[in-house]
Amino acid sequence: MKHSDEYTTHMVADERAGANQGGTITVQATIGLPRSLLFHKYHVLWTSFFEALDVKTVTSPPSNRAILARGIELAVDETCVPVKLFLGHVDALRDKVDYILVPRIVTLAKDETACVKFLGAFDVARNSVPGVRLLEYNVDVANGVYERPELCRVGQTFERSRRKVRRAYDHAKAAQLRHASALADLQDEALERPGIKVLVVGHPYNLYDEMLGKPIVDFLGSHGAEVLCSEFADTAKARVLARKVSKDIPWTFNKELLGSLELYRSRVDGVIFLVTFPCGPDSLMTELCMRSMKGTPAVMIVLDELQSEAGLKTRLESFVDLIAAGKARRLSGGDVR
Amino acid sequence: MSVNQLPDSRPFKVSFPHMGNYCIPVKTLAEELECEIVLPPKMTRRTLELGARHSPEFVCIPFKYNLGNYIEALEKGANLLIQAGGGCRFGYYGEVQEAILRDLGYDFGMVRLLGGWKLRDHINDFKRVNPRLTMMRALRAYRLALRQTRALDAIEDYVRRNAGFEVEEGAFEQVHAAFLGELDTARDKRTIAEIERRYLAEMATVPTERPDDLLRIGIVGELYVLMEPFSNLFVEKELAKRGVEVHRFVTVSNMVSHGGRKGPEHLADLISRSGDYVRYHLGADGTESVSMTYQLMEQGFDGVLHLKPFGCMPEVNAMAALQRLSREHTFPVLFISYDAQTSETGLQTRLDAFCDMLRMRKQRPGAALTAGPAAERSTA
Repeated sequence: MKHSDEYTTHMVADERAGANQGGTITVQATIGLPRSLLFHKYHVLWTSFFEALDVKTVTSPPSNRAILARGIELAVDETCVPVKLFLGHVDALRDKVDYILVPRIVTLAKDETACVKFLGAFDVARNSVPGVRLLEYNVDVANGVYERPELCRVGQTFERSRRKVRRAYDHAKAAQLRHASALADLQDEALERPGIKVLVVGHPYNLYDEMLGKPIVDFLGSHGAEVLCSEFADTAKARVLARKVSKDIPWTFNKELLGSLELYRSRVDGVIFLVTFPCGPDSLMTELCMRSMKGTPAVMIVLDELQSEAGLKTRLESFVDLIAAGKARRLSGGDVR
Repeated sequence: MSVNQLPDSRPFKVSFPHMGNYCIPVKTLAEELECEIVLPPKMTRRTLELGARHSPEFVCIPFKYNLGNYIEALEKGANLLIQAGGGCRFGYYGEVQEAILRDLGYDFGMVRLLGGWKLRDHINDFKRVNPRLTMMRALRAYRLALRQTRALDAIEDYVRRNAGFEVEEGAFEQVHAAFLGELDTARDKRTIAEIERRYLAEMATVPTERPDDLLRIGIVGELYVLMEPFSNLFVEKELAKRGVEVHRFVTVSNMVSHGGRKGPEHLADLISRSGDYVRYHLGADGTESVSMTYQLMEQGFDGVLHLKPFGCMPEVNAMAALQRLSREHTFPVLFISYDAQTSETGLQTRLDAFCDMLRMRKQRPGAALTAGPAAERSTA
């Protein structure tokens, strides 16, 4: 699909020509990174990349009520909560930086796709947040558009030397991979510790968001549960394992969730599916998972923008109590569930 | 590309979900499997209730209709279900629907077609159903089905544009029904062409009264709710009752013409004619919704109806662009979302208000969108 490639370069060249005549921004520019969606997956890559290029980055603050409220205002009513938060974050950065980085991810591997919101994130932000200046890079591996050249193209707006930009990318990518494996090690340590273990299956942009998953993960921790997060799983391994639950699932990020479920299922005492309303991929994936959860206690928690904390805490508390009681009974040699 | 499980014993009784009148060409294809074909009963409220009861809570509405169709077909004795793939969530329906139906205790086989619309990819799946199937036969049936589809779309396009102005109520519907009856049994290209010609001529003789200041409305949005009238609460007929010339561009004929190898080219074309409201493909029909709306505005249409299942992400992406387009160009766009609870009365009130507003704008050109926030953002 040659056209998309050409199209990208064309549009971007077009847009930047207006911003500066020379093609490279010589005056020090600041790049905003919205703390939402793919930030939670790629933040190490982005920050180290721009740091290596001596470009200043600004990350929006952790999600808060004001950001969510602004996001709800800007978004189409039916948008999923993470995208509402995303728009809130973009708006929070709008007046503080020169450009905001928004990746557009279509496919990360052949025969897979990303959720449609990542296809549209760039255009949605452009159309929803008035007066916003965006920098985008496009990843569509199935059609030959890769992350390295695309991100390097973005880098070249700030640094003329191609070699320097490429080196910055390679350095940043290595840092990202190191970061991911460090997280995986932490996860393995948690598995070794005694006590009840709960796996929380959810997208990173939900799990680590201050308004969505983080309070839940913290709450579980404060109730004596060891929390494992689905995202830490080894991606390549996750893909293979995912096939055990679903043969057809097309979404890359959901494959990672399914893989982690398979990886940890037998080693945890309970599973929590954390879903945001009305997530398309998760609506189907969670249905299939819940039907396959024979034996391990599982609960599905749907978060929306009108969360009632009391109700949520009661559910989490009773879930933890339930699996703790089950585990105590099993350890004392009593009846098996 | 996967036949997952065939029923234990023959004869197979094949069934597939409804979508508009396309069961006619799909039946032509299915006949090549040399199995008994069990059409699901006509859609009713029960179809939706059955589907919704057993579906995930916030899955999009086509899933619920499909599941309802399957349950009703299984009740009628079908034992081999077919699910076609598509972009977005559509492509993943099959596996989850199969799990749900098995947990309900039904015994059946399912053919899940993944990987788009390439006939060659699916042939091997179907060879397991009917070993006598050959590429030649399949291709012949495919061409025939496509010809039927084109005839069907041509006739229905004519009905959409003219039914609003018929003098005698139900005149077009009568001709349409007769056409469907003949098309259903036509099995060679020449007959199909002849039927299409004859009925187009017959429709041209149906007396109509077209006022000078008629309203022209385009319908854009997600393919299933656009093409299955029961799921969109017969919105096209409702518009016709209000004296509107209705245009729709999402049809199976167009999807076939714009699919496959021509896909990227078509998308690039849509994007280049979207007034810069889209720069990248938005997924599924999203790009087309924005681009068509922009083009219809340029062509002087009075307004656009945007239909989608509740929570449909490609169309939600498109809505961000459409809302901005509507605001910046003061161009009326009515957004309608369908779920299992969407009420007919609510829809009718909104259509009344929308049509009234368009008529008032016609009398006072340049007037603001007097329907106010309803035209900008809302869900039925």
